[in-house]
Amino acid sequence: MRRLSITAVCVLQAIAAGFQYGFDIIDQTQLPSGTIYPALGRLERDGFVKSAWENEQDAHADGRPARRYYKLTAPGVKALADAAAFYRSLLPAGKPRAARG
Amino acid sequence: MLRWCDLVLRAAAPIVPYDIRRDWLREWRAEFAYTATRCARNGRRIPPVLLARALGAIVHAVWLRWDRWRVEMVIQDIKHALRSLTRKPSFTAVVVLTLAIGIGGTTAIFGAVNAVLLRPLPYPQPDELMRVYKTALKEPERIGGAVSPPDFTDWRHDNSAFAELAAYDNDSLALTGNGAAEQIPTGKVTGGFFSVMGTLPMLGRAITTADDPMGSRDVVVLSHALWVRRFGANPSIIGQQLVIDGISREVIGVMPAGFQYPLRSEMWTPLRFSARDLETQRGAQYIQVIGRLKPGVTIDRSREDMHAIGARLARDFPRTNRESTASVHPLRESMVRNVRQSMFVLLGAVGLVLVIVCVNVAGLVLIRALGRGRELAVRVAMGAGRATLVRSLLIESLILGLAGGGAGLVLAYWATSAIASLDPSIGVPLLNQTRLDLVVVGFAFGVALLASVIFGTMPAWQASSVGEIVTRIREEGGSTTSDPKRQRMRSLLIVAETMLAVVLLVGAGLLARSFERLLSVDLGFSADAVQTFNIALPDARYVQPLQRQAFVETLLERAAGVPNVESAGAIFGLPLSSFQFGISTSTRDGVTLSDDEQDALTLQVRLVTPDYFKTMGIPIVKGRGFVASDRIGSQPVAMLNQTGASRVWPDQDALGHHLQIGTRFGMGGERAGGTVVGIVGDVHDYGPASRVAPTLYLSHHQWPEGGVSIVAKARNGDPASLVQPMRALLHDLDPDVPMSAVQSMDQLSSAAVAQPRLYLVLIASFAGTAMLLSAIGLYGVLAYAVGQRTREIGIRLALGAKRGEVLRMVMTQAGRLAIAGVVIGLGAAVIASRALRSQLFQIAPTDTLTYAVVGAGLLIVALVASWIPARRASRIDPITALRHD
Repeated sequence: MRRLSITAVCVLQAIAAGFQYGFDIIDQTQLPSGTIYPALGRLERDGFVKSAWENEQDAHADGRPARRYYKLTAPGVKALADAAAFYRSLLPAGKPRAARG
Repeated sequence: MLRWCDLVLRAAAPIVPYDIRRDWLREWRAEFAYTATRCARNGRRIPPVLLARALGAIVHAVWLRWDRWRVEMVIQDIKHALRSLTRKPSFTAVVVLTLAIGIGGTTAIFGAVNAVLLRPLPYPQPDELMRVYKTALKEPERIGGAVSPPDFTDWRHDNSAFAELAAYDNDSLALTGNGAAEQIPTGKVTGGFFSVMGTLPMLGRAITTADDPMGSRDVVVLSHALWVRRFGANPSIIGQQLVIDGISREVIGVMPAGFQYPLRSEMWTPLRFSARDLETQRGAQYIQVIGRLKPGVTIDRSREDMHAIGARLARDFPRTNRESTASVHPLRESMVRNVRQSMFVLLGAVGLVLVIVCVNVAGLVLIRALGRGRELAVRVAMGAGRATLVRSLLIESLILGLAGGGAGLVLAYWATSAIASLDPSIGVPLLNQTRLDLVVVGFAFGVALLASVIFGTMPAWQASSVGEIVTRIREEGGSTTSDPKRQRMRSLLIVAETMLAVVLLVGAGLLARSFERLLSVDLGFSADAVQTFNIALPDARYVQPLQRQAFVETLLERAAGVPNVESAGAIFGLPLSSFQFGISTSTRDGVTLSDDEQDALTLQVRLVTPDYFKTMGIPIVKGRGFVASDRIGSQPVAMLNQTGASRVWPDQDALGHHLQIGTRFGMGGERAGGTVVGIVGDVHDYGPASRVAPTLYLSHHQWPEGGVSIVAKARNGDPASLVQPMRALLHDLDPDVPMSAVQSMDQLSSAAVAQPRLYLVLIASFAGTAMLLSAIGLYGVLAYAVGQRTREIGIRLALGAKRGEVLRMVMTQAGRLAIAGVVIGLGAAVIASRALRSQLFQIAPTDTLTYAVVGAGLLIVALVASWIPARRASRIDPITALRHD
C-alpha cells in the first residue's frame, strides 16, 4: 500500500485528536487551507475518513449553519498507526528518550 | 471581510464539479460562519488571515475538478485526440503548417528583437556603459558627434560622474608577415578602454593608461577570432612581434571570444595624443568616447555633470566649442535608437500574422468540431458534461498548438540563422547575435500555448453547447439552414481577418512605393562594371607625400595597362561608404570668413585622381577635370559639385574663383584649397535617401593621402574579373599593402538600400501570407455555409429560383464580409501606418493610391475565393439536395 504523506498523517492525527472540522484541522496543523482540503478529499476518496454534517438543530442553536465534520474509518485508524510508526522509526534513536527524560 | 470571502467562493464555485458544488459551498460557508460567530462571541474582529484561507478554496476547487478528470482520463483524451487527428491527416497538416508559419515567423522576429533590443549587452553591468557625444547645444538628444582629443582629455579630468572615460577610433590596419597581408578592422583605444568595458583579456594583459604616453612601446591586443584564424590559437603568442602597418608591435593580450567593441574590431592598439595634438587639435573631432558610470550615479546626474563641463569649454574655447555641449546616452540606446521602431513594427506585423493564423485555425477547428456533432451528441448522451467536452476539445487544440510550435521552432531555427548571417551592410547593430536561446524558445512555447488557447477555447465552448447538441440529436444531424448565431461568429472572424490583412497590405504597399522611389533616385554616378577596393599605405614607410602620390599614380598607370581595364582612378572617400570628411571653408577669394560663415559653409572634401570622374561616369558640367599636371608644386586647383558651387558662390559662376578650407593636409602646413577649375555633377554620397552634400574635390596628386579607394571599370562588363589582375599589380608594387573592402559599385549601391529592401521583403511576405490566409478563411467559411444550406438551396431551386440568383446570393454574403473587413481595415491602416513614417521616402503614410489598390485588390481576392463555393451552390441538384440529410 502507498505510504501516507506527512500532510495526510498530520490531518489524520488532528482528526484522531478530536479536531474534526476543516478550519479546526487547519488551526491545529498550521497548514494552509489549500493544502488541507485537497488532503481531506484524497483521504475520503481512499476511505480513510468519512464526512457527515453535524446536527442542524445544534448548529442553529449556536446561531450558525451546520458544519461538515470528518471522522476516521477503521482503515484510517490502521493507516495512521502504520504511518506514525514508520515516521517515528526515521527519528534518531536517542531522541524520544531524551524527550521523555 | 466575510463578504470578500464569499466573493472568492462564488468565483471559484463554477470550477467545482456540478454534482458536489452545493455541498462544497455549504461546507466552506459554514466554516466562515463558524469563525464569525466565535469572533463575535469573544468580541474579536474577524482576522484578515481568513481571506488567505478563502483563497485556499480556489485551490480546493481546482483540485476537485482535476480529481474528477484524473490523469488517466486526460491521457485517455490525449490518445483519443491523437487518434482523431491522425484520422484526418489533411486537416491536421493544414493546421500544423499554418501554425508553424505564424509561430515560426513570430519567434524568428522576436529572436532578432531579443538580440538587438532586449538581451543585455555582453559586458559586466552593461547599464553603466554610456556613450558621450559632442553635440550642438540645441540638440542634446542627438546621437552621434565625434570628439576632439583636447575636449576628451578635459571631459576625462573634470567629470565626477564616470568611474572611467575612454576614447577610441575605428581604423583598419594592415597585418603583414605570417601569411598574406590582410587589412584588419582595428580599434585604437586609450588606456581606460578595457576597464570601461569591464572585460579583461583571456591571455596576457590589456592596454592600460601606462600605454598612453607618446613614445611608449608599440603593442597590440588580438581578438579571439583573429587569434584562432590567423595564429591557430597559439597560446605562446604573447610577447611575439607582429608587423602592423609597417610597425613592429608586441602582442600583449588576447581577448575572450565574443568581445567585439567597437563593432567588428579584430584587434586593438593604443590611441595616443601628443602634447601638440592636445594644444592645437580642439577643432579636430574624430574620436569616439565611451564611459562607465560610477556605481549609484544616475544618467541624469552624469548629464548635468557633462553639460556643466561642456558649458565651461564653450566659454573657454568659443571658436571651436560655442553652442556645443557634451551629451550622454546609454550604450545600447546609442547603438539601436535608429532601428528600434522598425524592429517593433516588424514584431507587430508578424504578430498580426499570428493573430490571423489563430483566427483561421479557430475557424477550421470550429467547423471540424461542428462536423463531429454526432460524436459529441453521443458523448453527451452517455453523460459527458460540457466541461468534459471542452476539456477534450482543448486537449486536441493543445496538441495541435504544440505540434505547430515544434514545427514553428524548426522554421524559426532556420530563420534566425538566416537573420544572423545577413550582411552587416543592413546596418542593424547586434543583428548577427540573433539565435534561439532559452528566452526565444520559451517565447515560442508561450506563443504556441497562447495560440492554442485562443483558437481552441472559443470553438470548444461553442461546439460543446449542450443545448445545441440536444437540438442536433433531435434533428438527427441534419439542418435546413445554417444556425445564424454560429454563422455570425464565423463571419466576425472573417471580417477581423480581412481587416488585419488590409493593414499589413497597406504597410507593404507603402514600403513598396517608397522603395520604388528610392531605386529611381539617380545616384549621380554609373555603377556599371566598376570594381572598387581600398588600400592603406602604412604611414611608417610612406612618410613623404610624394611617396604616397607616386605609389597611387604608378598603380593606376599599370592598371590602365591591363587589357580588361577601361579606366581606373582613386578617391579618398568613396561614395556610399559612409565616409564623412566635412571641413569648414576658411577663405573665399582670399577673404577670411567669419566663424558663422565658416561653419555654414562646411564642405565634404574628397581627393581624386584625374580618371576618377571618367571611371565613375560622373559628368563634368563646366570647366575641366583634373589632369596629370595638377600635382605637387603646380598651382593648386579645386572642383566643386553643383550643390557646393551654388552654396559657396550663390549668385555667380564658381569657375575661376578661389577657396581654402580649414584643414592643412600636413605638407607645407598650408591650408588645402585652390582655384575652381571645374564643376561636376552631384553625387548622393550617403545613399538615395540622403541629401546631396556640398562637396569639394581636390587633386590627389596635390594632396596625396595614403588611404584611398581604387575604382576600375571593366571592359567586359564583369567587375569581378578585375580583382585578380589588380591584386597581382598591387602585390608587385608592395606585397605588404593589402587589398581590403573588395566590392563592386553595384554591390555598394545595393547595400545602400539593403535595409529598406529587407524591411520591404519581410513586411511584404507577412502581408502576402496574411492575404492568402484570409482568402482561405473566407473560402472555408463560405464552403461550409453552402454545405450547411444545401437543403435550403435545393428547396429554393425546386421552387423556381434561378441559378444566377443562388450564385448572387452566396457572392453577396461574401461581398458583405469582404467590404466590411476592407473598410474597417483601411481605417485601421490610416492609424497603423503612422508607425512606418520614418521608413517612408517621398510617400505619405496616407498615400491614396496604395489604399485604393489594396482595397480593390483584396476585394477581388475575396470574390475569387468565394467564386468556387458560390458556383458549387448554384449547381446543386434539387433532387439530391432534398435527399441530403
